[in-house]
Amino acid sequence: MSLVREESEATNVIRLEDAIGIACAAELKKLLLQALESGKEVSVSLEGATDLDVTAVQLLWAAVRKKRKSGAGIVLVGAMPETLSTAFADAGFEKFLVSGN
Amino acid sequence: MNQVDRFKQSFREEAREILVELESALLELNGNPHDLELVGSVFRALHTLKGSGSMFGFDELAAFTHHLETAFDEVRNGRLQIDSELIDLALAARDQIKAMLEQDSALAGTDNSVCENILTKVRQITGRADSHKGVTEPKQAPPVEVNGIACDWRIRFAPGPELMLNGADPLLLLRELAQLGNLRVTASMAAVPPFCELEPERCYVSWEMVLTTAAGRDAIRDVFIFVEDLCELTIEPASSPAPSATSPTADATAMALAEHRALSGGRRTYDKADNTSSLRVPAEKLDQFVDLVGELVTVQARLSEIAARHDDPEITEVSEEIERLTSSLRENSMNIRMTPIRATFEKFRRLVHDLARDLNKDVELTIEGADTELDKTVIDRLSDPLMHLIRNSMDHGIEAADVRAAAGKRSTANIRLSARHAGASVLIAVSDDGGGIDAEAVRNRAIEKGLVSANEQLSEGEIYALLFEPGFSTAKQVTDISGRGVGMDVVRQSVESLRGTIDVASKHGQGTSVTLRLPLTLAIIDGLLVKIGDGNFVMPLASTLECIELTREDITKANGKHVAEVRGEILPYIRLREYFNIRSERPEIEQIMVVETEEGRYGFVVDEVLGDHQTVIKNLGRVYRHVQFVSGATILGNGTVALILDPQRLVQDALRAVTHGHPAAAASRYP
Repeated sequence: MSLVREESEATNVIRLEDAIGIACAAELKKLLLQALESGKEVSVSLEGATDLDVTAVQLLWAAVRKKRKSGAGIVLVGAMPETLSTAFADAGFEKFLVSGN
Repeated sequence: MNQVDRFKQSFREEAREILVELESALLELNGNPHDLELVGSVFRALHTLKGSGSMFGFDELAAFTHHLETAFDEVRNGRLQIDSELIDLALAARDQIKAMLEQDSALAGTDNSVCENILTKVRQITGRADSHKGVTEPKQAPPVEVNGIACDWRIRFAPGPELMLNGADPLLLLRELAQLGNLRVTASMAAVPPFCELEPERCYVSWEMVLTTAAGRDAIRDVFIFVEDLCELTIEPASSPAPSATSPTADATAMALAEHRALSGGRRTYDKADNTSSLRVPAEKLDQFVDLVGELVTVQARLSEIAARHDDPEITEVSEEIERLTSSLRENSMNIRMTPIRATFEKFRRLVHDLARDLNKDVELTIEGADTELDKTVIDRLSDPLMHLIRNSMDHGIEAADVRAAAGKRSTANIRLSARHAGASVLIAVSDDGGGIDAEAVRNRAIEKGLVSANEQLSEGEIYALLFEPGFSTAKQVTDISGRGVGMDVVRQSVESLRGTIDVASKHGQGTSVTLRLPLTLAIIDGLLVKIGDGNFVMPLASTLECIELTREDITKANGKHVAEVRGEILPYIRLREYFNIRSERPEIEQIMVVETEEGRYGFVVDEVLGDHQTVIKNLGRVYRHVQFVSGATILGNGTVALILDPQRLVQDALRAVTHGHPAAAASRYP
């Protein structure tokens, strides 16, 4: 598992790689909070992720809701691995995590 | 231990219990191969082991169990018949699962060839089921069909916040559910709190699902079997006909339900009422707790002693209050340690099953009094002696089929394992309807080995006691099962280390019964503190019926015989002063403690009864382990030591002395 936040002048990109599970839930929340508090655009890349568990999905959803309140959104960037999109569909998550949400 | 290790440990403990249940169900199934409820129990046990094993990272265990689960799935569906081959294979697989379970903790490898061997046989059996039907089953066949027609089930699964912290993964459950049929899933984020309030490791998502399957409610519930206590789960048949896989109707319904729940604001409840009714506590914590209570009881006795000396009403009041509380605490802590002997008894079903197969004997095991409770420590140390006794019974006691037939006995032999309370003791008996013990052969063997002289007169009981001498065996052949004369000696040592006794009764041609008499507890007992000369002794209260006075006049009336008349009945008594050779002046009025023993009511004469006493039992140590009539010692409030008497043994010894013509066996009983 790997969580990286890349901050540039206008954006924050959080890259989730490998399997993201409960063990790194606290770290993911910390990075998302830093990104949200920066006031910049927030993007999430799942390109390198192989699996996301419920804790990660609900954190991303809560972050999306928070960002929406400020009139912006969180953008999913990069291609989503097929295994992940299948897993999201199987778990009924697909409508929560589509690009632009 | 980190959290993951704790989850794994928790799984191991759960899995060990499931394996015990699995073994029992398999053995019962052997005798009732058409009992579908038992088949269901076996399947559910395997299913739980597989599912939870997978969740907790026991992947090999889960994969291995899956194959066996498949076999019992075939049984559930009527495609495979239960026979002894399948039962033996399942039992071997159960042993392998246990080995795999422990392997992870011990970091030792399991034997892959054993796994492979078992799996090959399982595949052969399940393959046989397929070929029998002449069809190839789909990889993921629905476990149970309801009239063979697929129908819709509406499932609501709301994990409790702690579910993931307990190592479970809801997404794995959804995947498993999808294997039962066509699953349409709608997740609800309605309960996810605002970002800042969200606790990242808790689960807030819930799901509404519609499953189209031929499987029944039980099969669906089985998927959630391991997390049932950690979630809210409803499974209802959908009233409308099954929509097609792509129909928006079901999704809309589920969404509407989710919306309604979110709007009504009713946050789910997670814990079932019975979830809080029991708590798993490590045994060593319990032992520490009881040790501390023991120390408290000793200190409280000191306080009572000091209060009595000072004669201060305030101190006395506090002391009495503490005594009352300590007594309640002691009773509670002892009760916590009391466990039914059922689990220990049940595991012998497997032993009898395996030995019967190996010895080619038809033997059934009858269990009685499995709910009898005993101190956990006693139960833990009882397993080995009972195993030796059962092995011995199976090997030497139960005759071969032709011998039984010739004797006109039922072809199926019986071994009875029973437990019952008797005062402060528990009697555990292993009885068989075999050939009985040949007392003459035992006697001759003992003479051969130089254990007794040829002209020594021995009662039947004394002859049977020789069986427990080190190295004694009358077996003509040493077998893998028994016959080396090691087991029975070990049995005696183990039972004596528990402050218990062994009694053997046998009738030639009819069977043998070995009874172990064990104390209820090894920690703290209620006792009566008595005084003889300068010495203090404790008599267990549970076996004491009453105390009566013994005057000089009473003694004269009995013409020097050791009997007293109690409400018209004659009571034989033992003078402990003489018995223990205590040289001090006898008081004018003595006390007889009337005690119930297995030999009947007996009296024990002491100088004075000081009162009841919470007795923390201390071992006498190795030097005094052969002292027969004392079951331990206790420390009194003033720091002196009192010996705890064993009335049963005292009576037995006195009777033995009378039988052998030594009524004055009193002298030098006490070193």
